[in-house]
Parts: sequence; C-alpha cells; structure tokens
Amino acid sequence: MMNIKHFSLFLIFAALLCSCDKVIDIKLNNSATKYVVEGVVTSEAGGAQVLLSQTKNFSDNNNFNGVDGATITIEGNGALNICTAVGNGVYQANTLIGVPGNTYKLTINIKGNTFTATCTMPQIVTLDSVYVTVDNLNTNKDGSIRKYATVEYKDPASVKNYYRFIQYLNGKKEKSIFVNNDEFTNGQEVNTPLNFNNDNDDPARNIKKGDKLNIDMLCIDEAIYKYWYSLADGASGNSNTASPSNPVGNIQGGALGYFSTHTIQHKVITVP
Amino acid sequence: MKKYGPVRFLPLIYSIMRLSAFVIAVICCTAFIVFAHPPVYAQNPLDKTITINLNNEPLKQALDKITAVSGVNFTYSETVANSRVKIKLQAANKTLRQVLSEALAKYPYSFSTLDQEVFIRYDPEKLKMSSTGTQVNAVDDKYTISGVIRSQKTGESIIGATVRVVGMPQGTSSNEYGFYSLTLPKGTYQLAISAVGQKNIVKDVVLHQDTKLNILLEDGEQELQSVNITAKAPGGRDLESTQMGVEKLSVRETKNVPVLLGEHDIIKTIQLLPGIKSAGDGGGGFYVRGGSADQNLILLDEAPVYNAMHLLGFFSTFNSDAIKNVTIYKAGMPVQYGGRLSSVLDVKMNDGNNQNYGVSGGIGLIASRINVEGPIQKDKSSFLISARRTYIDAFLKLSKDTNVNRTSLYFYDLNAKANYILGDKDRLYLSGYFGKDVLSADKTTGINWGNATGTLRWNHLFSNKLFSNTSAIFSNYNYKIKAQQAASNFTVFSQIRDLNVKEDMQWYADEKNTISFGVNSIFHTIKPGEISATGNSGVISQTLQSQYSLENAAYVSNSWKASSVFSLTYGLRLSAFSILGPGDFYMLNADGNITGTRHYTQGQVVKTYVNPEPRIAATLQINDMASVKASYVRNVQNLHLISNSTSASPTDKWVASTNLIKPEISDQFSIGYYKDLSDHKYELTVESYYKSMDNQIDYRNGADIFTNQPIETQLLYGKGRAYGIELLIKKKIGRLTGWLSYTLSKTQRKIDGINDDKWYNARQDRTHDIALVTIYQLSPKWTLSANWVFSTGDAVTFPSGKYQVDGTNFYYYTERNAYRMPSYQRLDLGATRLLKQTKKFSSELNFSIYNAYGYANAYRIYFRDSKTDPSRTEAVKTTLFKFVPSVTYNFKF
Repeated sequence: MMNIKHFSLFLIFAALLCSCDKVIDIKLNNSATKYVVEGVVTSEAGGAQVLLSQTKNFSDNNNFNGVDGATITIEGNGALNICTAVGNGVYQANTLIGVPGNTYKLTINIKGNTFTATCTMPQIVTLDSVYVTVDNLNTNKDGSIRKYATVEYKDPASVKNYYRFIQYLNGKKEKSIFVNNDEFTNGQEVNTPLNFNNDNDDPARNIKKGDKLNIDMLCIDEAIYKYWYSLADGASGNSNTASPSNPVGNIQGGALGYFSTHTIQHKVITVP
Repeated sequence: MKKYGPVRFLPLIYSIMRLSAFVIAVICCTAFIVFAHPPVYAQNPLDKTITINLNNEPLKQALDKITAVSGVNFTYSETVANSRVKIKLQAANKTLRQVLSEALAKYPYSFSTLDQEVFIRYDPEKLKMSSTGTQVNAVDDKYTISGVIRSQKTGESIIGATVRVVGMPQGTSSNEYGFYSLTLPKGTYQLAISAVGQKNIVKDVVLHQDTKLNILLEDGEQELQSVNITAKAPGGRDLESTQMGVEKLSVRETKNVPVLLGEHDIIKTIQLLPGIKSAGDGGGGFYVRGGSADQNLILLDEAPVYNAMHLLGFFSTFNSDAIKNVTIYKAGMPVQYGGRLSSVLDVKMNDGNNQNYGVSGGIGLIASRINVEGPIQKDKSSFLISARRTYIDAFLKLSKDTNVNRTSLYFYDLNAKANYILGDKDRLYLSGYFGKDVLSADKTTGINWGNATGTLRWNHLFSNKLFSNTSAIFSNYNYKIKAQQAASNFTVFSQIRDLNVKEDMQWYADEKNTISFGVNSIFHTIKPGEISATGNSGVISQTLQSQYSLENAAYVSNSWKASSVFSLTYGLRLSAFSILGPGDFYMLNADGNITGTRHYTQGQVVKTYVNPEPRIAATLQINDMASVKASYVRNVQNLHLISNSTSASPTDKWVASTNLIKPEISDQFSIGYYKDLSDHKYELTVESYYKSMDNQIDYRNGADIFTNQPIETQLLYGKGRAYGIELLIKKKIGRLTGWLSYTLSKTQRKIDGINDDKWYNARQDRTHDIALVTIYQLSPKWTLSANWVFSTGDAVTFPSGKYQVDGTNFYYYTERNAYRMPSYQRLDLGATRLLKQTKKFSSELNFSIYNAYGYANAYRIYFRDSKTDPSRTEAVKTTLFKFVPSVTYNFKF
C-alpha cells in the first residue's frame, strides 16, 4: 500500500554519477529440481486449473517446464473433483466453480511425492470502477505522460480483505504483481492506481489513448496475499532486498508455488 | 620493513585459517612475536670511543662537535640549548660516557641514553646530591602536576596528547578536554609532550608542590632543524596504555587523502583502517569486525547520531571543517561507552579559536563550505560556526529530462559551538548540530530527513586529581515522506528522540591508579510512523504506537599501572533498559502470529533488562619499542535497526527492545601485538579477535516492512560470530607517510528460520581486505596522495534456478549468502597545490580522481529476462563510480 519508491530517486542520483549496467557472465550453481504448483479455483466456470512444472537452471531457456503424469484432485463443498491432464503440465477441473466461504483442498501425487494445500475462498468485494490516472512524477521513457489503471472499490470493515489485480493492455498481460490489503484502508472507499515501473522501457507496456484496458479483480485469502507479496519482493531477481528468498507459499510437501481460491471480476475500458 | 610485511605473513595465516578463531589469534600473535624479534646488536651510544678537543665551547656547540666526531645525536630541551655553560676538555680514545661525565661534572646537567641518541637534561638536584652526598629518597612526598594542553595558535584543547617523564616510565595523556594530571615524587623532571600534528616540546619542571602547568603546543609537523632542540617522545603512540582496538585520527591527518567528489569525509578515511569495512562503493556506512551498520555507536560531542549519512549514504554527516578528531574503538571500549555491539565512533567538534577571528572555507564540485570562528573573550572563550551545502540540484536543472530537472536533491549541515571559561576550575561548552537532506521529485513527492543534536557540558575540577564532566544531551532524528498518487496525498513522519544526562568523573588517584566512574540516563522516544492522508485513496490517517524506554547505566573502572611494564584496566558497566508504557505488548507463536495482547498504561514498566558488562584489558610492555595487549569486553544493545535493503535508507527502522525483542549481547576477546620499528618511524599493529553475538535480529522471509502490525510479527532471532586478524603498518614521519592495512576475517549468523537454521555468512563477510594509503610531500607547494583498496566481494544470495508463475520468470534460491559479489578494487589519486600562504591568508587547490583506473566494480547484480533474447535470462551488473574527478578550492584567512 504505502509502497513509496525512493529507490527510483536513488537511481536518478546514481544516473548522474554515470552508473552503468552491463550484462555479465556469472557462474551460478545448478540445484536439484523442485516442483512448482500453480493451483487456482475461481468463482467462474472453467477457472479451476492446476499448472505443474519444475524449476530449471538459470542458463536454460524460458520455456514453461510443464510436468505431465500427476494425479491431481481438488476437494471442496462436499465434492471430489479430479483434474484431467490436457498436456504440458496443465490439469483442469472444468466443472468446478468455487463458492465464497468454502474451503478447498488440493492434492497432487507425482512420482511418489504428495503435495497438499488448503485455501478458503473469500467473499466477493465489488469492483466499482476502473479509470485512468496520470503519474505526476514520472514520464515514460519517450517523454509521453505516464498513465495508470486505477481501481475503485469499497472495502468491507468487518473482515480483513486482500486483493490482487491483473492488468491486460490490448490483450497483453502486465507482468507486474498488484496486491493490496486493507491494513490502512479498512472499511473505506478505496481508489488505488496500479502503478508499476516499466523496467525494460517496453513501449507496449505504456498506457495510451485508445488502448483497451482489461482489469481483473481477485479477492484472495491472507496466505495468498503473502505469497504474491513475498514473490514480488524476494524472488523477482531485483537487488533491492539484501536477502532474496523463496516466497512464503501454502503448499505442503516441499513444492514451490501456491493454491489460490479466489473470486474474480472483470472490467474493460477504452483509455480516454 | 619487508620482513614484517603481510606478503610473508599471509601464507602463515592461510595455513592456520581452519583452526578455530581464538587459536588463530593466539598462534598468530605468538608466531609474530617470535618473528618480530631479531636479536639486537646495536651498540650503546655511550660506549663509543672518541677523541676530541674542546676549548671553552658553549654547551650546544660542544655537543654539536661531539656529534660530528661520534655520529651520536643528542636530544635536549631549550634550557640546555640556551645554556651559557662553556666546556673545556681534552679526551683521547675515551668512551662517550667518560667524556660526558667529565664535561658535565661541574654543571647541573645529567645524561642518559634515549634509543640510539643521548638525552641531556637540566638537573639541579645533581649538584645538591654531590654536595651532600645523599640520594634523594624516592618515596618522599608526592605532588601532582596538572593542567590543560592547548594549541598555541588557536587555543583549541588537544585530545590525547602524550605527556611523558623523560627517562622514567611514568606518563599520561590528555583527556577529551585536554586535561592531564600526573602525580610524581618531589624532584626535577623533564616532561616531553607530543601530539599528532603538533611540534613536540620538552618542559623542565621542578616539582616541590602541587603545580598547575598549562601547556601550549605549536602547530606543524616536525621540522628538520628542530630535531635537536626537542626531545622525541619514544613512540608517537602509547604502547603502555591498555587500550587496544582503537584508532585515533585527527582531521589534519586525513585532509590529503583523496575522496569521492572531493568531499573530505572522516568516515571514509576510517574505512581504510583494518577491521572497518565500507558499506558499498562510495558509501558512508561501515561495518566493524563483522558487526552490522547499526552496531556502531556514533557520537558527535557525546550526542548519539542515528543516521550519520547524507544523500542515501554517499556522504557522512560530519563536516570535516568543524571536526577536531575522531576515535574509533573496535574492542576494549572504555566503560563510559555502551549501547552498541561493534564499535564506538567518538567524534569531537572543534572548540573554536580563542586567539583570533578566522574564516575558512572551500568551494567544490558538489558542495561549498564555510567556517567562522573566533574568541568571545581572548584566551578564555570562543565560538565556531560551520556550514556546508551541496548544489547538485543546480546541475539537475540543466538536464533536459523532465523527470530529472524537477528533482531537488541537496543537503546542508550546520555545526555551532561555543565555550566559556568560568574560572580556573570550570568551563562550559555548548555545541549543536543540525543537518537536513531533501530529496524530492516535485512539491508533492519526496523525502527529507535530518539529525539534530545539542550538548551542554560543564567541566569542573574538584581538585587537581578529580576531573568531572556533566552533560545534558539532546538528539533527534526524523524523516518525512510525501507522496502523491492519483488524487491522494500522503505524508509519513517518523522520529527517534533522546534526552540524555551524563556524569563522568576521572580520578587520577595516585601514580599507579586512574579511576573513571559515572552514570548515564537516556530517555528514548521512538515514533515509528504518523500517517496522514487526504484524497480518495481510502488510507486512514493514523499514528502507530510510539515506543518509550529509559536506558540507565552506571560504571566504574580502574587503570592500574602495576609495574613499569605491566598495566591492567578493569571495570564494570551495569546497564538497565526499561521499556515503558503506554502501549500494547504482544505474545506471539512460532509463526509470528499474535496469541495475546497486554495493555500497559503510561509510565508503567513493561520489562527491565539488566545486564552487567565486564570490561578488562591488560598490557605487557616488552621493551621501549614493543608491547602485547589483551582484552575482553561485553557490550549490550537495546536499540536495533531493522533493515532489509541493500543500500542504507533513511527510512530504515529503529526499534527498541520489547518484551519479545531481547537485548543484543556481544562478547569480544582480542589480543594484539604492537611494535615500533626503525626508530619509531614505523608503527606495526597486529590484532586478532573473536566475537560472539547473541539475540541477533533479521526479517522473516517475505516480511512486510511497512505494516501496522507489531514489528515482532515480522522478525526472527539468532546468533552471530565473527573472528579475524588485522595488520596495520603506519608511517607517520617523513615526506612519505601513510599506512598499509590488511584484514583477514569471517562473520556469520545463525538465525532460527533462515537457511534451514544453519550458519551462513553475513552479507558483510569479506575474507580479505587490503588498503594502502600514501601521502607524499613532493615540494613545499605540492602534496600527492594515492589510495588503493582491494577486498573480497560481499556474501550474497544469487538464484540457483528459475521457474514460471503466472507466465513470468521468478528465481529459485537455495542457501542464504552462498555466493560472492566479484572482488572490489580501486585506486584513488589526489594532489594538493598550495597557492598562497601568508600569515593572513592561505589557499590551496585540491584535485582528485576516484577510481583512477576505472575498474568496473559491481555495486549490485540483478537478474532479468534478457533484453536481446527473451527466451533467456541474464545477470546484469551495475557499476556506480568510474573515473570520478573533482577539484576543490580551499581558503583560510
């Protein structure tokens, strides 16, 4: 929430002192592979799916390293749903639609390993509107005005709430992670810009007039909030934190990743 | 020289590196002592035979002639030099001893050897003795000589000046206020007084009653022609003192050392000493003997400074114009200091010139300075005001980039001090510091932070043996963040404030014992955050719970000079830290979740931590040139800086101990060997230490550092250990001065919940650290200087794999800090040209190049998807400083 980036100011200063970035060769150790679980149950039909993959060496390519051959079930609301493999590590439970307030249990068996996780789907909080605001501080690399998608919702006072937003610009997903909690905004009408740093100066990430902007709002539980927060903070490869670390997930049994049951809402606007 | 150099010493250290640390310490030092003692074949100068004919020559000329024929130099005071005694003598093939005995037989002068020279002293007792034929009884009445040592030119009191009784083991040094006191049997003595950057002098003293002797020292290095009329104190440093792990630097010594952007910075100079490591390229933070940056107690005229940095750490808050000297204690901290685990950096401001008004200043690339000082009443009182401001923001305005040219980026500081002599026995000092940094992108977004300190001190002499200093100290650090997001504005304000009273006493009890004792009480208020918000963000303005605590300490220690070769300092500091209400205090489970809360009302004591901190130090002087020291010190720290960022940030969080956060405790053992070489031209120091640290604090993985949850929910605890060996060779005399320092060390942590509860290297663990500092006086106008540093890279956590989540690459980590940054090296060059020097005005130009061979040091290494080939990931190195030139103009009138 109060994520004030003095770091960008620091970079301005560093730039003055002719700091330079250079790609280097670095010898990184290879480690034993670990399974990575991305389990999702949403409040929509077709939203329940599990991605099972493995870690790769740093020097390998970036292709998704899906693992087939697992037995995966999601249990909840009195029913056991079997996820069927559709190839390249993707498993789907087409009929499963999550219901807020219910707890779901994910079980994965693969080559003698068992991974489990439970997650409760929070109640939905309505996404009231999406609009565009202007960054008064930073401009885009090309000198144009930097704009952000801004979300508005009313946070319920009686419970702790956690949110995640996903942005698509002209159908392209923004890779920055947007999460919020209500620690400082409990019970309030909240307006939050989804601000991010266009770190590779990719013009396709800049929001411009006429662009189509899709925003998904996910109501997530506390453990999942913590997962996304710690993933962005500790595992994104930036050097801001002195001790990078693996994110705190909710998978038991020694796999990386998360199992999230969340509500989902969509809004689309055309950037004015 | 080479014989003792680290090149030869390194393989030895290597081979025993695997042994446990303390064994290393003992073995290395023992080994070193063995190596460092070549047999001495030098002839006693008094045994030289000479042939000479003197015909009524004045004493000084007579001695010069003897020097000419014998090659033996004499050392004597002005009394001897100006003597009207005439010497008549004929000697053939007689020893110098016989010649001098004969020549001085009728006169009140006696002689003794002083290293390879002969010391002639005025000795009125000599004739009395010979006339009565009786010895002076050594256990006769004793008297005290005491006073204040000051600079003749400016009236500044001189800290740590050595006062020695020539030819005798007795000696002392001036305290922080220039006061000294020495108790001796009735008699006639020569006191040799020396201090860094001052000419040495010898004073003749006839002691038959308690005597007050204020001493004025002349500025300046030793000049060649003055060598014969001053007595050289054996060694510029105190081999007899039990204090070890200490480095004293005067600003004068460091002014020629080249620095980043020409801003002379005493903290950057101490980073070139062994055992003290810089926190990042160009950074002003430092780590001492494996401790973290917050474990250094930084005092400015006794006031703690909580964030001693400007500009995100690139400059220290200490404006060298206003600073007299700094002392850093790495081990064996005297009992009056406490509250931090690793070191004490004691910075003393100048008092101000009590003789003449003066203005000095400098104009540099990024900052300008001005310093005004002068007497309030001549000889009695003085003031000083010193200010500095950077103007980087002026350059920013020139930038075409609108992101940059709207940015404000500057800092300023102001030091002010006044002192007043109330009488023979009382003196008042009032000093203050105010500094502020502003870093803002526009009117609505930015951060400013700053320290303010104030100290009122009263020196009082209860007697010529009992010195008292009473202080009332104020210290404040705060920051304020302003941010604008869409239609909302936020401010966050945080503050740490101390009110501090202190009573220090020094009792020069007798010639063998000096006792220090005192009490100290500090009231800390920490406001972690006041948040105010306007607009539609939904953020509720609120104040996070303040922390109140009272830190009390009482201490006593005795420095006991057991014999002429053995001294022992032993003492105890008793600290008591009380956490006070009002506020909520929590109970947590192992996962950091709150299981219970208890509310305390205002003034209610939540918990008191009482810790005895024993301190002991001993020294054994092997001979005039060498000594061995050992010490044990316990330190306790109740204010903790919790940080997880790679660069020091003004928003790093200070928290006090709570019912859950226990005081950090360290125990340090150290042993050292000290030797002066080549007639005191070189000083060699070898020290080794083992330090254990308890109740060390780190963030949990995934901790949220800005939360209104109790901070304890985000923390983990464990222990640490650090050990190493440090070598320092210093040359203080001659055209070429400087030092070579080498540190071999290890520092590790073991925190429950991190790295599978196994030991791991702390980030600042750097195995090797080398610094070479040289200053060469090329001509009276030109001074050249060069520094070279090399160190092992920091221990860091790099990925051991990668994976995809939600279509994006993330990195997989295995062990904490199992990788290394690339090793670091840098050469800095400097040159100072004296432009003009008259009595009224002097000016100089200072040029420097930081990182002169442009070595691309890694400031950070990060990982990302390749920009050129999106199917790959890549490592990127950021380099900050290469070939940074600067020029500074300094003036004084």
